[in-house]
Amino acid sequence: MSESRVIEPLIEGKQTYETITEQISSVVSKQKEHPKAWFAMFLIGFFLVNMLLVSVTYLIYKGIGIWGNNQPVAWSFDIINFVWWIGIGHAGTLISAILLLLKQEWRTSINRFAEAMTIFAVMCAGMYPLLHTGRPWVAYWLFPYPNILAMWPQFRSPLIWDVFAVSTYMTVSILFWYVGLVPDLATLRDRLVFKPARYLCGMLSLGWRGAASHWKRYEAAYIVLAGLSTPLVLSVHSIVSFDFAVSLLPGWQTTIFPPYFVAGAVYAGFAMVLTFMVPLRALYKIENLVTMRHIDWMCKIMLTTGLIVFYGYIMEVFYAWYSANPFEQYLMHNRWYGPYAWAYWLLIFCNGVVPQILWSKKMRHHLPTVFVISLVVGLGMWLERFIIIPVSLHRDFLPSSWGMYTPTVWDFGLFFGTIGFFIMMMFLFIRFVPMISIFEVRELWYRMSHRKKHAEPVKVGVNE
Amino acid sequence: MPSVKGKGMESKNSADLTLEEISKKLEAGNGKQYYRSLDEVAGTPEFRKFLEDEFPNRSTLLSMDRRQFLKVMGASLALAGLSGCRFLPQEKIVPYVKAPEDIIPGKSLRYATAMVRRGEALGLVVESKMGRPTKIEGNDLHPASLGSTDVFAQAELLTLYDPDRGRNVLNEGQIATYDEFLKAAREALAAAKSPRIVTDRVASPTLRNQLQALVKAHPGAEWIEWEPFNDDSALEGSVLAFGSPYETVYDLSQAEAIVSLDCSLFDEGPWSVRMARDFASGRKIEGSEAKMNRLYVFESGVTTAGLSADHRFTVKSSEVVDIARQLVMALSDLEADGPFDAATIREIAADLIARNGKAVVVAGAHQPAELHAIACHINHAIGAIGRAVQYRPTDRKPLRTGATKLAAELAGGRVDWMLTISANPLSTLPQADGLKEAYKKVPFTAVAALYEDETAAESKWYVPLAHFLEAWSDAEARDGTASIIQPLILPLHNAVPVHELVASISGKPQPAYDIVKGFWVAKGAGEKWEKALHDGVISPAKPTEAPKPVGGIGPAGSAAFGFEVNLRPDPTIDDGRYANNGWLQELPKPITTVTWDNTVQMSLNTAQRLGVKNEDVVEVTVGQSRVEGPVWIVPGHADDSVTLHAGYGRTKCGRVGEGVGFNVYPLMAGGAIAEGSVKKLGKAHPIAAAQTHHSMEGRDIVRVGSIEEYKHNPSLEPHDAHHAKKGLTLYNDEQFKNDSQQWGMSIDLNACIGCNACTIACQAENNIPVVGKDQVRNGREMHWIRIDHYFSVKNGRFEHVVQPVACQHCEDAPCEPVCPVAATVHSHEGLNQMVYNRCVGTRYCSNNCPYKVRRFNFLNYQYNQKNFDKKDDIPLLKLLNNPDVTVRSRGVMEKCTYCVQRINEARIEAKKQLRKVKDGEIVTACQQACPTQAIVFGDVSDPNSRVSKARAEERSYKLLEVLNTKPRTSYSAKLRNPNPRIKA
Repeated sequence: MSESRVIEPLIEGKQTYETITEQISSVVSKQKEHPKAWFAMFLIGFFLVNMLLVSVTYLIYKGIGIWGNNQPVAWSFDIINFVWWIGIGHAGTLISAILLLLKQEWRTSINRFAEAMTIFAVMCAGMYPLLHTGRPWVAYWLFPYPNILAMWPQFRSPLIWDVFAVSTYMTVSILFWYVGLVPDLATLRDRLVFKPARYLCGMLSLGWRGAASHWKRYEAAYIVLAGLSTPLVLSVHSIVSFDFAVSLLPGWQTTIFPPYFVAGAVYAGFAMVLTFMVPLRALYKIENLVTMRHIDWMCKIMLTTGLIVFYGYIMEVFYAWYSANPFEQYLMHNRWYGPYAWAYWLLIFCNGVVPQILWSKKMRHHLPTVFVISLVVGLGMWLERFIIIPVSLHRDFLPSSWGMYTPTVWDFGLFFGTIGFFIMMMFLFIRFVPMISIFEVRELWYRMSHRKKHAEPVKVGVNE
Repeated sequence: MPSVKGKGMESKNSADLTLEEISKKLEAGNGKQYYRSLDEVAGTPEFRKFLEDEFPNRSTLLSMDRRQFLKVMGASLALAGLSGCRFLPQEKIVPYVKAPEDIIPGKSLRYATAMVRRGEALGLVVESKMGRPTKIEGNDLHPASLGSTDVFAQAELLTLYDPDRGRNVLNEGQIATYDEFLKAAREALAAAKSPRIVTDRVASPTLRNQLQALVKAHPGAEWIEWEPFNDDSALEGSVLAFGSPYETVYDLSQAEAIVSLDCSLFDEGPWSVRMARDFASGRKIEGSEAKMNRLYVFESGVTTAGLSADHRFTVKSSEVVDIARQLVMALSDLEADGPFDAATIREIAADLIARNGKAVVVAGAHQPAELHAIACHINHAIGAIGRAVQYRPTDRKPLRTGATKLAAELAGGRVDWMLTISANPLSTLPQADGLKEAYKKVPFTAVAALYEDETAAESKWYVPLAHFLEAWSDAEARDGTASIIQPLILPLHNAVPVHELVASISGKPQPAYDIVKGFWVAKGAGEKWEKALHDGVISPAKPTEAPKPVGGIGPAGSAAFGFEVNLRPDPTIDDGRYANNGWLQELPKPITTVTWDNTVQMSLNTAQRLGVKNEDVVEVTVGQSRVEGPVWIVPGHADDSVTLHAGYGRTKCGRVGEGVGFNVYPLMAGGAIAEGSVKKLGKAHPIAAAQTHHSMEGRDIVRVGSIEEYKHNPSLEPHDAHHAKKGLTLYNDEQFKNDSQQWGMSIDLNACIGCNACTIACQAENNIPVVGKDQVRNGREMHWIRIDHYFSVKNGRFEHVVQPVACQHCEDAPCEPVCPVAATVHSHEGLNQMVYNRCVGTRYCSNNCPYKVRRFNFLNYQYNQKNFDKKDDIPLLKLLNNPDVTVRSRGVMEKCTYCVQRINEARIEAKKQLRKVKDGEIVTACQQACPTQAIVFGDVSDPNSRVSKARAEERSYKLLEVLNTKPRTSYSAKLRNPNPRIKA
């Protein structure tokens, strides 16, 4: 990296600590100036949440027979959506934990947002394993708890591993997010006018006064949590992939699944961050904090993970051929030419072809293109799970048991319902919580503006 | 309510009681008698009157003191409780003071009885649990059953408890009493000039006797029997061949070569159960000694006989008579020219002759009398009579004659009294639609039947008839064996036994038991009555002399039809009598696996020519009549020919069967084989088929080979099969190395004819719910054992194979490690067990099951049945549940348990006697029902058990063995015994 090269900055414009604090916290403090578009989005989310409630109520009342699941396709939208949502959450953890440990400074203006996304996505994901059981009222039997039956769960089942993986993930994500929020809550406590909000922030900020001792403890805690989260980025989706890899079903029983699922998760996660960030930075005028440089790097990560995922697809074809296993070979044949071939080829188009556009810097900087690609990748990752789950199940070993799968209105009701829940929660978060970490951006500004004096090599650019 | 009257209490009839008197009465009682006194006071009519008056003795009520008031209030409360008994369901739990003989709570009792279908008996043994019939099995001692059943016998249990069965005597649709009916019927009969009694084919000698007496007592009266699918052709054919009518009784165990001339051998009435057993007994393979009978089948549609055949020749049904003629020519060493390849016919003829009398020709019931006459001649010529076929003299007349006459009389208004018993003439008579108006004009019409059917709806009276499990009767099998039909339960509704009905109309009312027993006592069977009830047979078949044919076969008739329409009874709901039986409606039909519908079956070529595909609706025309139905393509069906199954399109039969499928009876006037045409309509009708893919995709699933191939490669494993080292494991398997018995099953594909009896027996035994057409269409049928059907194309011919698949009870079951709550676990006896109570319903086990035998309760199938209401109907249906098997709720997985309840019962019995369970002591429901005894169950750790021997056979294999799941169910490959001299 040559010094003369103009590098896009991570913080634009002439900034001081005050301007940064004011810009971010005013979104929360100046409720009356909130953009109208917020209401539109919130209402969409709210409407879909009602749909979710209706879908869940009817589901519990009638049983999962209201869905299209059948024999042989006993899992479909329920598990597709579970895996899809869990995957979406992964960008947040990657950004918060791994990029923090790697001292990637560009993470500071998107980590809060991505972490919130993680939490809400895991909430959406968590609904499915519960609701997809035939008898959700006894789903707690999946937890190891002391009981008079003297029964443990069956620890060999990957579904039990899922219970641990997802609940750990949820807990650590919330902790990490909340710990990172404490100094900002203190800032809000000091700046808000509305009393109840001030009290609330005051309580939630746990008596934060910005003392050096506070900062010392905070940094230690944050690094420990980052260390805890880091393996989760890899483990959660690996374990989710075991739901399939451990079975003996062609199309599921594949050793490449763990890395391929993790890459897919990060891929989908960054796509979702971009889907939200591209319009939000315009809406909330935060282009100076979430700069084109952020967009560019996120695109690059998408491209990289996308290529790993595509490699996975190629390896699946290779396995089918190299295994000489007729069941595996038929599976590939069925994916390519079977009744759901359209879904497979659409998947290859979405996840294999379209992201190649991101090789071009020009395209990475063209926001409408980036936005569309992020949506396409979101769809592609959903299709990937569709191909893996129902399309593998619908034609397995005995042709006599082959069948077809068609989702019902209730499958879509629940799916769009969780999307609505996600949208609603995200927009509540944007409005009532600083969506960018105030103190971390200030710290970043400090470091960037002081580097020149100490003649350190410039790692990241700043507009002079 | 206690009935003991108090001392000195005499009720005043007229005078009203005053409060003072009541108080006095109340005070008379004291201490422990107190409550009794209240009831006594309350029970008097005076006090009732006192309470019914809203404000009795108003002034005295006010002047009453507190204690008195409370006492009176207590009395009125007691009365409220008593009057409540009248409309609230009464549930009393009272121990037996004197227990009924033989009943031990929790233990089942078995009674021999028999059922009748199409006028023939099938001997049964019915299991009763605490007074409820819960399972129907075959009777070992009955010649038609030999211990097995068909699908219909199994499903009769559901018919017994069917909430839609007639419950009341109806007069013009209004509830009436039986006495009113009898009065009206007898008065009308006394005045009638030409009364008619229409019944189904009567198998009961007692009823025949009664009806003959009734007809004799009323000059001008006639008794007509009618079955839409009958054996008229066989009777008429025997008259043509022998000069007098004979019943045709086959004994295929005596036949080494069998030629079926368009006969659906295994689906022609109750005797088919016996035929299937005999056929399979000639195909048992012992070691490498492969000696098997040979079955040639000529047929148009594909039947279970066709798929079991060694040579299945696809011909039009209308060609079969000419083909039979060719066979006669070939047997007489004459030129065998005709519609079929002469060289092949000659080889078949040579084969028949070479068997030295151990051969038989079987003609289909729907074929004309001419063919049956030819078959008689051939059977005589090849020496089959007296061996593989018996001709038993009978005095029965063809039913068609009587039915045609009745139709004419009805149309002509010459009938003035008509009683229909168990027949449904307005639906099944040829040209029945035209008779409706004429029937309504008959002054007295009554129907006695299980259901209020189409004929009942047009009749003045309807009388609910008792089910065979509810009333005494008797019945004869095809070979003349007579059985007593023994009831197991009192009529559930106000149903009347048929013998009592006829006796009452005759003016000599008598209980059915006395009538039936009286008949047999008169015949001199009184002494062996008890033994007959126990054995289920009262009068065995008598040997008959072989008749000699007279004259020759007639001249060649008309040529084959250009486009033929075949009408056949439905393989699952018969002629429509089981239309309201959900088990049979949902039972996948053999070959097509279609449920809840009948179809227009045709070949691929015909479908292409007509430009139709599955589910397209076509119009089928025969003469002036036309019907509309959906197409179902059956590979191997004859070209330019369609097959339609009757019994559907019922308009009045109960909530399950109404409006299902289409009615083909309008076409019946043209006969069972008729010239017709098919036209495409631009509509479609969705069909729910249990199986949608019928190709094995080159996988090693059903092993099938000829005897020649078997000699060279006894395992019959395909050479190009996906080879993997078998039995590889990382761990030494210690799991089953204990001294407990290890259960396993073996299914002989060589014996299986795909009749479905196992599926429905399992449904009855294991409380498996009916899910309905929509659910089947979505692949959610619940059958624990299913019959997989595959076809392949060999030398331009379609070859069909079937395979029963239930849970394989894998030793390394893939379902077990994936269950998060340990709801499916292995027993130390090798059973893969399903713990319903523990199941949370993640369905992972089903996904990981390579055999896809697990069934999930997606909805509350057991108690939310679409057609029935929860208050009245569902409780009735609950009665048929087997109390030894858990009823599964919504959201849990279920599957075959190897009938664990039967294993437990046998184990408990064995433990009491300090021994191991003996081989053959445990019989699973599917095994018990199987007419061909294709299923063997037992201890695989005992090398001498039958199942171990079956597993040791060289042609034994495990399904998907390459997956190393180590199934406990093994299959024995299917063998075919083609004539080496016939080029395929």
